[in-house]
Amino acid sequence: MDHTRSSKLTWLLIAIVGALTVCPVLMLVLGSFSEGLTAFGDFTTDKYVEVYTDPAFFEVMLNTTIFVLGSSTLSTVLAVFLAYLNTRTDIPFKFLFKIISIIPMMIPHLLFSVSWALLLNPSNGLINLGLMEAFSLDNAPFNIYSMWGMILIEGLLDLPIAYLIIAPAMASFDVALEESSRVSGASSWRTLFRITLPVLRPAILAAFILGVVRSLASFAVPSVIGMPGRVQVLATHLYEMIATGFATDYGKAAALGMSVLVASVTLIVVYRALTAESEKYVTIAGRGFRPTVIELGKARMPLFFVVGVLSFVLIVLPVAVLLYTSFVPYSMVPSARAFSMMSLKHWHDVLSDPISLLSLKNSLFLAVVGATLGVILSIFVAYVIVKVKTRASGVLDSLSYLSFSFPGIVIGVGFMWFFVQTPLYATIWALLLGYIATYLPYGIRPMSSAFIQIHSHLEESSLVCGASPLTTMRRIIVPLLVPGIVSGWILMASMFVRELTLSVVLSRPGTEVLAVQILRFSEDGLWGRLSALGIVMIGISTALVVTATLIGNRFRTV
Amino acid sequence: MKKLFAALFVVLMAVQAHAQDKSLLDRARTEGKASFYANITAIEPILKAFSADTGVKAEYTRISTSKFVATAITEFEAGKLMADVVQAPLPVLDLLKARGVLASYRSPAAAGYPDWTKKDDRIQLFGIEYVALIYNKERVKAADVPKRYEDLTLPKWKDKIVMANPANHATTISWLIGLKENVFKSEADWRKFLAGLAANKPMFVASFGPTPAPIESGEKLIGISMPKYIVTKAPAPLDWARVSQPMMGTPRAIAVTSKAPHPAAARAFVDYWLSKKSMDILAKDVGEYVLAPGVYPPIDGISKAKVIAIRELSDDEIQKWGAEFKKIFDVK
Repeated sequence: MDHTRSSKLTWLLIAIVGALTVCPVLMLVLGSFSEGLTAFGDFTTDKYVEVYTDPAFFEVMLNTTIFVLGSSTLSTVLAVFLAYLNTRTDIPFKFLFKIISIIPMMIPHLLFSVSWALLLNPSNGLINLGLMEAFSLDNAPFNIYSMWGMILIEGLLDLPIAYLIIAPAMASFDVALEESSRVSGASSWRTLFRITLPVLRPAILAAFILGVVRSLASFAVPSVIGMPGRVQVLATHLYEMIATGFATDYGKAAALGMSVLVASVTLIVVYRALTAESEKYVTIAGRGFRPTVIELGKARMPLFFVVGVLSFVLIVLPVAVLLYTSFVPYSMVPSARAFSMMSLKHWHDVLSDPISLLSLKNSLFLAVVGATLGVILSIFVAYVIVKVKTRASGVLDSLSYLSFSFPGIVIGVGFMWFFVQTPLYATIWALLLGYIATYLPYGIRPMSSAFIQIHSHLEESSLVCGASPLTTMRRIIVPLLVPGIVSGWILMASMFVRELTLSVVLSRPGTEVLAVQILRFSEDGLWGRLSALGIVMIGISTALVVTATLIGNRFRTV
Repeated sequence: MKKLFAALFVVLMAVQAHAQDKSLLDRARTEGKASFYANITAIEPILKAFSADTGVKAEYTRISTSKFVATAITEFEAGKLMADVVQAPLPVLDLLKARGVLASYRSPAAAGYPDWTKKDDRIQLFGIEYVALIYNKERVKAADVPKRYEDLTLPKWKDKIVMANPANHATTISWLIGLKENVFKSEADWRKFLAGLAANKPMFVASFGPTPAPIESGEKLIGISMPKYIVTKAPAPLDWARVSQPMMGTPRAIAVTSKAPHPAAARAFVDYWLSKKSMDILAKDVGEYVLAPGVYPPIDGISKAKVIAIRELSDDEIQKWGAEFKKIFDVK
């Protein structure tokens, strides 16, 4: 694409993405500097002074740092491990592993956390009870209500995001680089650490950074696991600020949220600096791109066993707990009595409830239409970020993270303050635009990882042969981007099916969505209905993932 | 003769009220619907009954207490408040009243309610978000059930209690202050109770909603929670401790908004909401403690319990006491 066109495209995208993401953040900035409870009031800096001089602030930040770095490291390491085995080796049942490595994303985080509390709470957690009986222990060996529990659960929840960013890059990796290393006498481990991982640095860093930003904004794990364990992190500190009293000052919460925004933008700048020379990471050029499979040999079955155990712990246990809870009349430890009391009552209640059914319809619409529009926008944004690489494209990159970086419980109010000034307020379109604006990085990151690995020679050759830029995009770039597109679409669609933080503020009669309905059940303590609707949600997400994967496979073979 | 005049007067008033009702309902039907913002839950049966009985549709938007004021004021100031009727804890409606969000309306349906429930010409109280000690009746022996709130400080309850976070949950903060003002003889006794409760290391959750599940499952044995879960979570083995001291809770209030898009439907809805029929549904289906005379939730012993409304605490007080409880309960 020539310079003028690139420049026009960049500025057009800055205008679109900026309109989507800057407006709510701007409203929050105004609110943080305004007296009173709305975005418009007399100027004051009191809210900043109050928030940042709070004696609890430093302990909260220390806990937050440990939690965020711990969970992001865990999710990234696990994602690299799973992605490598799935995409590069001859490990058996690959399709199954691919699906199970993304299922945690489909489970509402609240339910996932509650399931783990049922398994590992120190009073009567099922795993603890089993271990105490098996080893004649007096005390429960594990206490999920702790920092390590929070890191474990958040790490598992963020694993799919990391996996969907790293796997496409791993799939597009030119194995000739590794072969050259081995031919030169390097061992497999040396090749892994000196060739494979460094070449995948942009994808790994992107996954890690997205994990950091996500866990900074996460509320379910700090609330369900951290609060009972009295481990306070930024999200619960913010919640305390919002929940104490009736005249909630979201401006004050926004003032605190600004530090998260600054941290996130800094991370993005660091990421761009670390991956500045993107040509180093190009592995699909015009010649000999062929992803090949590495034979695991004797390690095949032991590694399969490790992944199997991981998958069981990640997927089977929490989903089994959900299924079980949806059949028993109230929260009960499994027993003969509990099984004798099972019924379909919660399922009947949920499936005959008109609001639950309307929520299902709305969430499905938002997932399919929202993810499709989001992915189309993400393709262009990722192209500009990776291939145009001007200062303006750096601005675009940072803009795309703006809403995403803000803690969830605050950004929803920013959107409300913004949309209430427009005719879109209280419509499904406000939700659609809010979702795309907030979760744009879910589309952009996998696409960027994929773009980084496509050499500009391919594009140039097409243009030299007389194809227009759009034809080049359609015939050359997009087919090579299919793994990234599928990943981006799955990430966005699954997120939109379970999106809560914006929906809880923007949803109104007629625009109810699944996650808000689930929250209602949770607030009423109706765990049975909540689990039944949660399983419906997982079913929808699974159907979307399978469909997207099948369509992706079809396009790849064309 | 005087009696005859009095009877005539009553009949005339009734006829006039009926005519007014009819005219109000006719206008409400023309308007088509009433939009209701509320933090109270599981009220769909009342909305359904209202639509069936009046022909006016009721639209319910559930807004949590922490987002209520922000949402209502933001919409009101932008001229887009969609609510015709608002329901929330009394302090929330007081804040909205101060901003001019509430209209003046004294519902004829509140005639039989106690005088103290008629706060002013704008706000009507109809229930109390009552709090009690809820326990697992299969795991706690009858002899062990607390007889007084102080019993919760006994060492046998260590690591067996669940409660909403006393550092930030407004209703729990108000309840603890209610104990100080209505139950304990001196502040020293009250502080001793707090210290004993804290020493038993209760498990904290975000609100009342997550309190019953750990009690049902046996993860914890007792909690500071709401008796209404005995109704909504049946057949879970939950019961409430009949302590010798009064039960307390924050008053629930309702009002019409000053710029209601459907003003007649709003008034018709409030009238219906305060009627005995609605209060019966609220008590029987949802387990709420309502203030309509003679209506009680179907929970054994509740009709004999003394339930009092906690004094309204200002936001400053809630924040001050939240910070104090944070220290006492070692909330990190």
